[in-house]
Amino acid sequence: MAKKPSMGRQKIKIAKIEIKNHLQVTFSKRRSGLFKKASELCTLCGVEIAIIVFSPAGKVFSFGHPGVDSIVDRFMITRNPPLTPSQTLHLVEAHRNASVRELNLQLTQVLNELEAEKTRGDVLDNMRKASRSQHWWEAPIDELGLNEVEQLRDSMEELKKIVTSQTRKLMAEAAHTPPFFDQFECKPGQVHVPSTASEDHSFGYGHGFF
Amino acid sequence: MTRKKVTLAYIPNDSERKASFKKRKKGMMKKVNELSTLCGVDACAIVLSPYSHDPEVWPSPLGVQRVIAKFKNLPDWDQGRKMANQESFTKERIRKTEEKLRKQHKENQHKEMTNVMFQCLAGEWSRSFSFYGLNEMGWFVDQNIREIARRINSLKEEILPHQGMTMRHGMSSAEIVADTQIASEMPMNAMQNYQWNMQPTVSPYGLGWDPTIPSYGYNSNSIGPNFTYP
Repeated sequence: MAKKPSMGRQKIKIAKIEIKNHLQVTFSKRRSGLFKKASELCTLCGVEIAIIVFSPAGKVFSFGHPGVDSIVDRFMITRNPPLTPSQTLHLVEAHRNASVRELNLQLTQVLNELEAEKTRGDVLDNMRKASRSQHWWEAPIDELGLNEVEQLRDSMEELKKIVTSQTRKLMAEAAHTPPFFDQFECKPGQVHVPSTASEDHSFGYGHGFF
Repeated sequence: MTRKKVTLAYIPNDSERKASFKKRKKGMMKKVNELSTLCGVDACAIVLSPYSHDPEVWPSPLGVQRVIAKFKNLPDWDQGRKMANQESFTKERIRKTEEKLRKQHKENQHKEMTNVMFQCLAGEWSRSFSFYGLNEMGWFVDQNIREIARRINSLKEEILPHQGMTMRHGMSSAEIVADTQIASEMPMNAMQNYQWNMQPTVSPYGLGWDPTIPSYGYNSNSIGPNFTYP
């Protein structure tokens, strides 16, 4: 699926959006972004925040650290709420902060992994581009004419035959000799599953084969 | 806008932290303002920090009270329905990012498989295949052959809309139309000459395979068979 190029950053007028659909989409995105900013502010600077936002449909979204209610209540009771929580809550706070720290580490890790995958995607795209400039058959099949596509099919059928015969050969080899054990220095009876040299995600992608 | 990568953790340096706070708080308030104006909705923000005795708010203390009142007037369930704190919010961010990661990974595996297949067609085998890699490749090639067949059929329909199924199998399109010029090199000979590496080594790129992605063209709509791998 070819990536649809997004419009990029556009300068917009700060006035109520006319088109209802745009308004809803904008709300959803900006609310999410706003909470993300608030969350980062809490983490980076160790401050307490509460944000309440009503949606165009009338539903309410809120974000609060340590909690929306605690901050709102303190605000209501006194316009100058105490800046430090009471003694009894300290332990609870500490515990929660530790778990938030953990989560932030986890989030950072996943974000880095995503970044790496995106880079890998770009590299693969470039490889394809380069290859495609030299080989006409690599164009999307919808761009190929009948003659070309038939030739491609013939080549693919050939490739299929070779792949199939090689697969059979490997299968036969594996069945007849136990070189696996020698190769990987396992005792017979142990099964050694070769791990891939590539990314090893803990999310269980289709690496079942390996 | 500076684009330094910032670690998602408490800033230990006091002055750095204070500077960051000022900037970010200002930016966040601006965002609340924009959200409220662009979407015509009620909103408020309260920030409690060691840098100011009074809470810093948007839009104004009175405005905040008004929004809080509106908030409190809702039934408890509505209030709590979309209420988040650091923990829940970060968990959600992690979940969403993992989802994106999965998708991107799948896409990349597909791209890589495509590239490898084209390399094979061009007669370049810079890697040795494991048994599993070969299996996947065979499957992938099959899928592509199917796509190609579909394309051939649709092209033939265009040329001879009345013939359709009555066309003899094997009827060369050269007999129908002298189409585009044939490229000089066809990959078949190169493939036959290659000495396949017989050892059961592991493919260095670890081709995890998801069969629900059909073809290499990235732009087809068909769905392959649907089974999940452990």
